[in-house]
Amino acid sequence: MLSPADRSAAQRIASTAVLLALAAVLGYLESVVLPPLPVPGLRVGLANIVVVFALATYGPRVAGIVSIGRVFVVALAAGTLGGPSFLLSLGGALAALAVMIVLASAGPLFSVIGWSVAGSAAHVAGQLLVAAALVTSAAPLALLPVSLGLSIPLGFAVGYSARLLISRVPDLSLSAAGR
Amino acid sequence: MTRGDTLVVVAVVALALLSAPTAGALVAPAGGMAVLRGPAGSTTVDLSSPGRYIVSGRTGDVVFEVDEGAITVTSADCPDQLCVRMGAAAPGRPVICAPNGVSATFANGPGESLDAVSR
Repeated sequence: MLSPADRSAAQRIASTAVLLALAAVLGYLESVVLPPLPVPGLRVGLANIVVVFALATYGPRVAGIVSIGRVFVVALAAGTLGGPSFLLSLGGALAALAVMIVLASAGPLFSVIGWSVAGSAAHVAGQLLVAAALVTSAAPLALLPVSLGLSIPLGFAVGYSARLLISRVPDLSLSAAGR
Repeated sequence: MTRGDTLVVVAVVALALLSAPTAGALVAPAGGMAVLRGPAGSTTVDLSSPGRYIVSGRTGDVVFEVDEGAITVTSADCPDQLCVRMGAAAPGRPVICAPNGVSATFANGPGESLDAVSR
């Protein structure tokens, strides 16, 4: 019979796996159903709803597994692991995750909406930096103003969706109840 | 929204506004020429003469078309086809195919030649 600690660990692993699968599916659905926005690196970021949710309910470690794991899972499925598309996704995901973890560690000063807006901006900035490295030119950075501007409403949409999700999943919203 | 969230939004808006002049300086104003850049180097093309240019990228070819002073990507070997959807390059708005490492920006004068471009 499992001890309470083992059971808790098993539940955590299972929850992480479910969130990772959900993020991967949402990311895939977005690429198939929603047309890409006409600015490189800019997406609605449906998968980030799950990352924000994971960060609010389980903390940075699980959020990191979900965010970076999703990039690897999608790249493995698409056969683009190690390629330019993978590097763009990884750059955006790492930048967004880092910024959101910093804001989350600041306590109640920032809500999930703030995390999401900052994460969205960091994501586009990270992707444009990787794109600049890929084309060996600073030209992609010319898209920074419009990308950052558009990342605000997209970040709001993701943040509100995450907050709604957190409020509708009461058993998991322990630490995020007030957010 | 918390006060911190408002600060985040203000910071992103400020970054967008502050990056605008820098971003504009990265891309030269329209001078009737465009620079096509690929993994093998770059070349300058005259936008006053219509033509079709193929740049070899990392994952395949990117086809540019010059017509009526504008340059667009007509086809590319990349998954999302963002570069095709971006429309014509404009001052301050380059056309980029990041997966292929290929871009087109406005330029003021002729530059070096690129072996990987075929016309």
